[in-house]
Amino acid sequence: MKKKLLSVILTAAMTASLLMGCGGSADTSAPSSDTSASTEEKADTADTADTAASGEVQEITWMFWDDLNATEDLISKGYAEVIERFNKDYEGQYHVTPITTNLEEYYTKLNALVAAGETPDVFICSPGANMNDYALTGVAAKLDDYLADGWKDTFTSDAVFSGSTYPDGIYAVPLNIAAACVFYNTEMFEAAGAEVPKTFTELLDTCQKLQDAGYTPITISAGTAWCLSMVAGYLCDRNGLVLDDVKEHKTDWMDEKVINAGLQIQELSKYFQKTAAGDDNDIATAAFYNGEAAILIQGSWAIGQINGSCAEGFAEKVGVFAFPAVEGGNPDANRVIAKSDSLCMSATTKCPEAAVALMKYFTDDTAQKYTAEVGGKIPVTSVEYDTSVAPPELAYVMDVFRNASSTFGFYNESLADTEAGSTFDNCFVEIFKGTDPATALQPIQDYYEMNVW
Amino acid sequence: MSTQSKIIKGIIYVFLTLLALVYLLPLLWVVITSLKDDAVLMISPWALPERPMFENYSFAWTMGNLGRSTWNSFVVCTITLVLSMVFGSMAAYAIAILRWKLANATMTYFLIGMMIPVHCVLIPLFIQFSKIGLSNTLTGIIIPYITISLPITIYILVGFFQGIPRELFEAACIDGCSVYGMFTHVALPLAKTGFMVTGLMSFVANWNELLLAMVFISKEAKKTLPVSLTKFVGPYNTNYCQMFAAIVLAIIPTVVVYCCFANNIVDGLTQGAVKG
Amino acid sequence: MDKLLRNKKAILLFIAPAFILFTAVLFYPICRAVYFSFCDYKVNYPIKFVGFKNYVLLFTKDKTMRIALRNSLFFLIFSCVSQLIFGLLLAALLTNIKFGRNLFKNIYYLPCVLSSAALGLLWMFVFTPKLGINQMMASFGWISDCTEGPQWLFNTDGYIILPIIVISVVALWQYVGQSMMLYMAQISGISNDIYEAAYIDGATKTQAFVKITLPLIRPMVATAMSLNAIGSLKFFDLVYNMIPEGFLGNRAHVLATHLYDQAFKYNKLGYGSAIGVVLLVMCLAVTLFINKVVKCENYEM
Repeated sequence: MKKKLLSVILTAAMTASLLMGCGGSADTSAPSSDTSASTEEKADTADTADTAASGEVQEITWMFWDDLNATEDLISKGYAEVIERFNKDYEGQYHVTPITTNLEEYYTKLNALVAAGETPDVFICSPGANMNDYALTGVAAKLDDYLADGWKDTFTSDAVFSGSTYPDGIYAVPLNIAAACVFYNTEMFEAAGAEVPKTFTELLDTCQKLQDAGYTPITISAGTAWCLSMVAGYLCDRNGLVLDDVKEHKTDWMDEKVINAGLQIQELSKYFQKTAAGDDNDIATAAFYNGEAAILIQGSWAIGQINGSCAEGFAEKVGVFAFPAVEGGNPDANRVIAKSDSLCMSATTKCPEAAVALMKYFTDDTAQKYTAEVGGKIPVTSVEYDTSVAPPELAYVMDVFRNASSTFGFYNESLADTEAGSTFDNCFVEIFKGTDPATALQPIQDYYEMNVW
Repeated sequence: MSTQSKIIKGIIYVFLTLLALVYLLPLLWVVITSLKDDAVLMISPWALPERPMFENYSFAWTMGNLGRSTWNSFVVCTITLVLSMVFGSMAAYAIAILRWKLANATMTYFLIGMMIPVHCVLIPLFIQFSKIGLSNTLTGIIIPYITISLPITIYILVGFFQGIPRELFEAACIDGCSVYGMFTHVALPLAKTGFMVTGLMSFVANWNELLLAMVFISKEAKKTLPVSLTKFVGPYNTNYCQMFAAIVLAIIPTVVVYCCFANNIVDGLTQGAVKG
Repeated sequence: MDKLLRNKKAILLFIAPAFILFTAVLFYPICRAVYFSFCDYKVNYPIKFVGFKNYVLLFTKDKTMRIALRNSLFFLIFSCVSQLIFGLLLAALLTNIKFGRNLFKNIYYLPCVLSSAALGLLWMFVFTPKLGINQMMASFGWISDCTEGPQWLFNTDGYIILPIIVISVVALWQYVGQSMMLYMAQISGISNDIYEAAYIDGATKTQAFVKITLPLIRPMVATAMSLNAIGSLKFFDLVYNMIPEGFLGNRAHVLATHLYDQAFKYNKLGYGSAIGVVLLVMCLAVTLFINKVVKCENYEM
């Protein structure tokens, strides 16, 4: 009898806790549903009303993928200054608290916060597949109304918004642009009698000359997927691949243009440093900074590193050129891979005014001047900056960027979704390791057949 | 016989020493690297630094806010340790010593908790906790830590309780001990080693736990040590040397605590836990 | 005695705190995860129930899953066997020496107290062709150039690829201290009288170990082995930190990294949960198997 009683109690406890759980689940299951959103809104308006009446400081949060104190990244340091400036200027009215994680856990944490209804008021996000998850789902707010008051006119062109423009409006504000360029060691080029190449054949030629002169022609990391993928993206584009055509299934990944790009990677890989397969990005870039290799294909954030942590006098030796054209490929060889740090605003922010004010601080003249002069990235507004202070490489990158007919994103961020991007990266790593392109590209073809087309 | 055994002893010691080197050299490398700067690290990773960069340590300590996060980690891990021990040993006693039909089933039920990766429960757990306002508090990570430590604590302690000879309980029973008395006077003292081992394991696991703490804690003042260590990983490059300095700083308290505890374990043991 | 141990109130009192805490905090999210595994669930998007779709995809279409399963099973077998052998060996050696026992034990256990993330980074440096072991081998003249040696973390030939073997050895290095500790704790719990009696009967130390120690620590072998098995199936940190992403995508996935990528990198929480459930079932099966085979007696005395 007693035994029975016990088991009954235990089962009861178990079911009770389960029911408790399920009861709780009813409202957690739809974090972005209308009901919860509207209750939050009500609470929000009540909150703002309270604040307005009492004159309390409006707290907002800003989420970013690097620690603002421990960082050595010059752009991150610039952001830290913006935050400090904002908090000082708006003292007593608004106050922003940064939430920082490292890049690896950034989207995990952001997604968790969103799911729990604690979306940060302003958060950084990469345009492309990542941003889709916030812009298309109503997590991020549409910004057109805020941009319309003349803010948008301060930007260099509408093109800077291309990554964050969706059919119904603009969902993010870019802060700076990094363009993927080819950095080279002018000293080595001179010693080897090499010229800046305009076409892919010339590039191979240049590499051969460098190799004959005893230098490592190109340093690249195949261990960090996006590095190799950047070159792959350029080659696909130079061969004339149009990503939208792939998306709409007008062509596929077995297209001759992609296969060609693969073959070209294999040709080029003869000139990579021997340890390319195993080096990660830090090690590969260090080989260029240490003067071991002649060419580094990298985003323009490298400028900050070259001027920040390299040996004295190295920065003067560095030249920049645009990725060469492919003969018989895309006639427009002036397209540039560009990536921007962009800010989204939460659709459920309690105080859009404060959030917008903060975003404006990131794009004001002081911040943009810093971006160019110290950070070495391309500013998004038409700010006047002191070219004599700015790192010499920035001028070259600016030349490349000004000559660009149009920009396109990193391939791994511009495909149908993040998984497609990773699949693309992996395919090109396989190609780099010597697999026949048609075989190596099968996974991305399969992925599109299953999930996209 | 005696020369032979001496030779065997010698071989054993040589083997143990070589193995110890395999363990110590990589860790020594971490310490050496923490005194270099990144540029040198990339050129000659194994060389000694020309001039030890102690500023890496001061940078790591101040910029990583390590003082605060060490304290947080310490608070979190200690509370977790005590509570998971108390709850765990009670449950283990009930499962291993007390007699009821569902003991086995309950054990398996707890074991499930050990088997699911924390990644799977992260988001549901976070939603649940932030609903009751526990996100961004130390309590908010202490509770999951206790719960995650429980299955392994129970599992190991059950093993230790089962190893206690039954006669001891019978003797206690004859002496008029109640079921509660047997717990405090027989089971707990005799499973001392078990407590040391499980305590160490859960303390260490929680001391190093990153993902949950990373997601649950946004406030700078509440960050735990592993979260602070990730500060040196930037989006485009990593400050390896400063990170290693921070890692060394993070290790020191664990090693100190561990050395104090670990020796106690063996001392307590060799006297023979089972004197009865 | 028996009546005392069947005291229902006491049982309830002892089991309740752990039971309630566990059920509320962990078991409920696990149930949610199981439910998600039957859904198309992406954070920010509405949840859609899809039945067994995730599982069907997982077992029929997902090539990475096959690789991950294979690698995880390799980890499982390798770590169970190697940790048993080396753990017992170290425990046996250490209990038989007096001088420096604590020192050696502390040294071998040390990596267990360090974070896997930091150690993963350290070992990544060691096995990077340009920086680590290969350079050392080159300076000894064993290989002509640091690029000639084995591609420790990047060789993708063979059924079980070299990186997976390298990582399992590193895992053995890191975790063998744990097994050793558990065995030592149990061995020193064995009463000295038994050994003395055996020695009087003329038994050697080896005989005593095989005939007395091994049978007496059998329950702990089961415990330590189950812990190893579960740990190696859930194995994540070292793989994630030592293998660069580009290579991880192809051949070096294990179940937990596949789960992480699917759930967080690609925001497919439902699919990730399905992998988690598979993992859970495998862990349960392995634990039950080990307890059946290694440990004879039941939980009840």
